[in-house]
Amino acid sequence: MARHSKLQKQVLSLFRQFLRAGQDKPGFLPRIRDEFRENSSIKKTDVMHIEYLYRRGQRQLDQLKDVNTKQLGTFSKPKVER
Amino acid sequence: MPRLFGMHLPAVSQSSRKLHFSVYGKNNSKVSDGMSTQYPVVDHEFDAVVVGAGGAGLRAAFGLSEAGFNTACVTKLFPTRSHTVAAQGGINAALGNMEGDDWRWHFYDTVKGSDWLGDQDAIHYMTEQAPHAVVELENFGMPFSRTEDGKIYQRAFGGQSLKFGKGGQAHRCCCVADRTGHSLLHTLYGRSLRYDTSYFVEYFALDLLMEDGECKGVIALCMEDGSIHRFRSKNTVIATGGYGRTYFSCTSAHTSTGDGNAMVTRAGLPCQDLEFVQFHPTGIYGAGCLITEGCRGEGGILINSEGERFMERYAPNAKDLASRDVVSRSITIEIREGRGCGPEKDHAYLQLHHLPPQQLATRLPGISETAMIFAGVDVTKEPIPVLPTVHYNMGGIPTNYRGQVITHTTEEGDKVVPGLFACGEAACASVHGANRLGANSLLDLVVFGRACAHTIADICTPGEKLSPLKPNAGEESVANLDKLRFADGNMRTSEIRVNMQKTMQNHAAVFRTGKVLKEGCDKMDAIYQTLDDIKTFDRGIVWNTDLVETLELQNLMLNAVQTINSAEQRQESRGAHSREDFKDRMDELDYAKPLAGQVRKPIEEHWRKHTLSTVDPKTGKVTLKYRPVIDNSLDAEDCAAIPPAIRSY
Repeated sequence: MARHSKLQKQVLSLFRQFLRAGQDKPGFLPRIRDEFRENSSIKKTDVMHIEYLYRRGQRQLDQLKDVNTKQLGTFSKPKVER
Repeated sequence: MPRLFGMHLPAVSQSSRKLHFSVYGKNNSKVSDGMSTQYPVVDHEFDAVVVGAGGAGLRAAFGLSEAGFNTACVTKLFPTRSHTVAAQGGINAALGNMEGDDWRWHFYDTVKGSDWLGDQDAIHYMTEQAPHAVVELENFGMPFSRTEDGKIYQRAFGGQSLKFGKGGQAHRCCCVADRTGHSLLHTLYGRSLRYDTSYFVEYFALDLLMEDGECKGVIALCMEDGSIHRFRSKNTVIATGGYGRTYFSCTSAHTSTGDGNAMVTRAGLPCQDLEFVQFHPTGIYGAGCLITEGCRGEGGILINSEGERFMERYAPNAKDLASRDVVSRSITIEIREGRGCGPEKDHAYLQLHHLPPQQLATRLPGISETAMIFAGVDVTKEPIPVLPTVHYNMGGIPTNYRGQVITHTTEEGDKVVPGLFACGEAACASVHGANRLGANSLLDLVVFGRACAHTIADICTPGEKLSPLKPNAGEESVANLDKLRFADGNMRTSEIRVNMQKTMQNHAAVFRTGKVLKEGCDKMDAIYQTLDDIKTFDRGIVWNTDLVETLELQNLMLNAVQTINSAEQRQESRGAHSREDFKDRMDELDYAKPLAGQVRKPIEEHWRKHTLSTVDPKTGKVTLKYRPVIDNSLDAEDCAAIPPAIRSY
């Protein structure tokens, strides 16, 4: 089995940190899983995109760890056919 | 299912509108299952939230952090990019470094400058706190210009006098060469890093979260990733600045879009005195960039096409250092009477080449460069072409002298809106009344920014439990956002914006006439309706500047309709609002004649009152009410209130 590249290890580490941080706050875990699942389809070679999402994820993780962030909700609207 | 610890908000809530709020994951809602558009909403809880990170916002934010409050500062721009950075002139304070001075003379000048529309208790508070505020800034490290003996250099500025107007020109404007605002903002930013305020930079505040007439927080859009954030807190301070961009030619940044005023209007609260828009006499002709009043303070003069120093005719005592509205009107009259300069005879000249070059280099380096870049003029040889340009909004969110936002009813008088505060250009305390004196705005920022922090520290304690909030609070804002994001009409944002700007510039300028204003009101109403037909192009949610500009346009429109409708209704000339068809000021007594034997008019029959305007956001219809001016100072023995008189310079 091919070993994980450095970037892949960083992404996995970020994912673990997110899961740990989002444990006690409602609404975050499902979204974290959904986001990572959706972005897993990005090609391994598209390093620019992955690094951009990684940097953004680090900022979002800092915000999640902040004691003042309380929950994640969602406003949703059924898509209307145009 | 995870246990919910200490949650105030239930999991699911349905409303009659199209959006449905739920805690993520509870209804198996996935990121994109193709069946719905989703807006993730992160909830935050703080003790205090400040919207805006300019001079007033930063001062309030770190003042609150200093007092122990858990504070968030939500801003659409990085703090040092706020428009405060462009201020040039200085801060007024009666320090007395150039000659003997007294803050009560500054108080008199400000009351007179406001054309007796300013609330004298707020003006008393500001002018008394001024020396303390400037010394505090100096202790923060602000690099003021210095005199030979190391004291803060104070220059002459418009409308400042000694001995209640009888002692000649006062020198009380403390400055940092001609880049005082830049220095002030960078000093405040540096100081704010010492405290643990949480900054949410590049978050566009959409609306206030109001429930039962109380403000419970703010909802904002994170521009970086398109997520919505609700900041719940017991205290919200609005410091979002002015709305110069409603006009085609202004000295303001493109980001001066009156977001705070619009948020308050959409919450159903009134805005005060929006018809008073200050036209700064010396904006560069064509570019609109500001040339500070400090030039005239250092000895610069305004001349017409005949080379005459025409201000001597309009203001025999103060000449070029008369109050800004007087100078703007004088320039406009000179141009109208055919003595304008240039090939089209449509501007005036500001002459500086008679001043010693080293004085220009030390005291006015910034404008020397600005004039070269934007007008191609070398100030040591040629005069600068200038024209009155929109610069400042005296009006805004009505507050009392402590910074608390108020509403007004005739039965109960002024009533505080719990949880909501405002400071800076966005607020109307009202210290500037109908016209602002130069260098009073930077003072207004720091004094009232600090005042808001003090008031909140007085009435609340850090760590107080928050009152419950409806789970779908902020839904209308997100629905509006969604509507604009997918808007598919016929008119682009830029087209509607330019229509609005040109209408305001042509119909609500320095001199206003009833017929032209009425035409402007009708045109603005039609332009407001075209907002329903708007078309945006970017459908994404990450860094969607098309969407943000459209939100800003909505905010500008609310400000513009209130401005022009209030101007049309006010049938007098006062301060910056001058009507050709009603040339006089209409007070409760005629102060041009002896007062003995005159009967005081009731408030419905005179115009020395504040305008309170509200708008129905769906139709754009403006409703006007009025509120009396506060004529008593905070302490009648320490500083007597100034009774109205005829205003001449």
